[in-house]
Amino acid sequence: MEALAQLLVTSLLLAGVYALVSVGLTLIFGVMRLVNFAHGEYLMLGMYLAFWSFNLWRLDPYLAVLAAGPVFLLVGLATYYLVVRPVVPRPHTVQIFTTVGLSILLQNLALFLWTGDFRFLRTEYTNVVYKLDGVALNFPQVAAFGVSVGATLALFAFLKWSWWGMALRATAQDRQAAVLMGINVDRAYGLAFAVGIALAGLAGALIAPLYAVYPTAGLQFVLVAYVVVVLGGLGSLIGALVGSLVIALLDVVGAFLVGVAWKEALYFMVFLLVLLVRPAGFFGQRGAEEFRA
Amino acid sequence: MKGRPAFRPVLSADQGLALGLFLLAALSPAVIQDNYFLDTISLILLWAAMATAWNIAGGFAGQVSLGHAAFFGLGTYLVALPQVYWGWSAWFGLVLGALAAAAVGLIVGYLSNRLRGPYFALATIALSQVLLVVFSRWREVTKGGEGVPIPFRPGLENLAFVGKGPWVYAMLVYLLVVFAIALYFERGRLGQLLAAVREDEDAAEAIGIDTRRLKVLAIVVSALLTAIGGALWAQSIGFVDPFYVFSIDLSVKMALIAIIGGMARAIGPLIGSVLIVSTESYLRATLSGPQAGQTGLYLIIYGLVLILVVRFLPQGLAPLMLRLLRWGKAGA
Repeated sequence: MEALAQLLVTSLLLAGVYALVSVGLTLIFGVMRLVNFAHGEYLMLGMYLAFWSFNLWRLDPYLAVLAAGPVFLLVGLATYYLVVRPVVPRPHTVQIFTTVGLSILLQNLALFLWTGDFRFLRTEYTNVVYKLDGVALNFPQVAAFGVSVGATLALFAFLKWSWWGMALRATAQDRQAAVLMGINVDRAYGLAFAVGIALAGLAGALIAPLYAVYPTAGLQFVLVAYVVVVLGGLGSLIGALVGSLVIALLDVVGAFLVGVAWKEALYFMVFLLVLLVRPAGFFGQRGAEEFRA
Repeated sequence: MKGRPAFRPVLSADQGLALGLFLLAALSPAVIQDNYFLDTISLILLWAAMATAWNIAGGFAGQVSLGHAAFFGLGTYLVALPQVYWGWSAWFGLVLGALAAAAVGLIVGYLSNRLRGPYFALATIALSQVLLVVFSRWREVTKGGEGVPIPFRPGLENLAFVGKGPWVYAMLVYLLVVFAIALYFERGRLGQLLAAVREDEDAAEAIGIDTRRLKVLAIVVSALLTAIGGALWAQSIGFVDPFYVFSIDLSVKMALIAIIGGMARAIGPLIGSVLIVSTESYLRATLSGPQAGQTGLYLIIYGLVLILVVRFLPQGLAPLMLRLLRWGKAGA
């Protein structure tokens, strides 16, 4: 029973991070109708940001977390204007392979600059362990969850109450109508993309103390994020949260039913099933999967 | 007004270029002794054929897949395992793999028919990931993550050869078959129907084209041909590593060659493969040893080239190459 409790809590904490990555991915899709196949690479860069700022300047990894948001907001903006913006009006194939190309570029840039070595960010935080009824958690796990929840709530508040947040939601709902309401759709795209990237970078910095840092470290997270967002419905923020929870539970159930080694297969089976049975996911708009620009 | 040409060439520029490449490849084992060079040529032929196979689904039918490694991997494992367990001839395994991949392609194509654009790409990624987990973890049957060494029993009856020369011919035959099928998909009646589907699916549907059947057919043929490529690759290497054969990198490479070469025409993937595989091979030879760390460098350039090509040359490099060729001829 204790093992179950430990697994449940660990999975739930991790679900917070998945939610952060997925919310960014789904925000970009919802507003721009574009799947960012390079999303995992920004997470990886976020991990390196935390790793290097600690190893080069002895910066506290949680200062790097603070910096990651604004830094990746700028990185996201630059990416949007340099790479993504010109292909927004182009066919799906062009969009897909632009972000795939970006993913290859960033992965190998990291490989070239920092080699393929697995690096570990070990700080005194890792040794801070909380015990609760036999469930042991270390500080980075709890912090990753806490900051993820905070950032997600902040995003929701921004979308709900700020003018630009409303503009983003309007653009997601109906591009044409948004233009007629005087929204600069180009800026809305740039903002959505930059915020999505910022969340990915933030997530990366948060999990750097927990996982090995290497050039393709983003892949396993972004693969889960794809499952999460499709499960919840691409473009739906609430869906991304629910999807993360479902994945966390699948994690636990899967570990018991089919063993830890096989649980990933379970994710992707569920993923395929959802795509085939109800591609719109739990909360997505029906028909979005057939959307054509 | 320009007059009609005095004579009409028997072959179009595309076909002429393809024929030239095939002839060069066929002659190469007689002229070249260097094993590394011959290996590069057979790799160019193999990747040209696989990118062509990808293009039948991705280019001609507009079903952009990022999971073709699934079909490739099935081809490698089904050629390897029966040899290991029962000592079958590799030919049986090759046919078995092709049929299995076609069956999976049929299911995926049929079920995912509603999915367009990025959704189809995501579904195919998931498919290859499921197979990766199954083949790398199911130790009792697939030998798990260590991979499968294939017993080397040379002979045509077993699809295993001593030396690199015979492989050039084997890959060339494979490429010829795939290329002929791709030409049919590009030029034949089927090609016209597919073009209609690609341009406007709803309109095609409205004039009575069974778009679902066409797309499923393209995916099945594409999957089958890709699996054969996997089988040939496994036989020529002698080892199957699940983390390579089911990798996203491999899926992306197939797509990348087709796109950089040009997706709209059958010649595109051939040109893509000549350019990409030869540079790769050259760089691998020159950047080995102390400079091995720089391997990331040429992949950075790939990524950049891919971004630039889809943005500025959506037809790929094929039209550019053909124009250069024609210009060269006019200048001579």
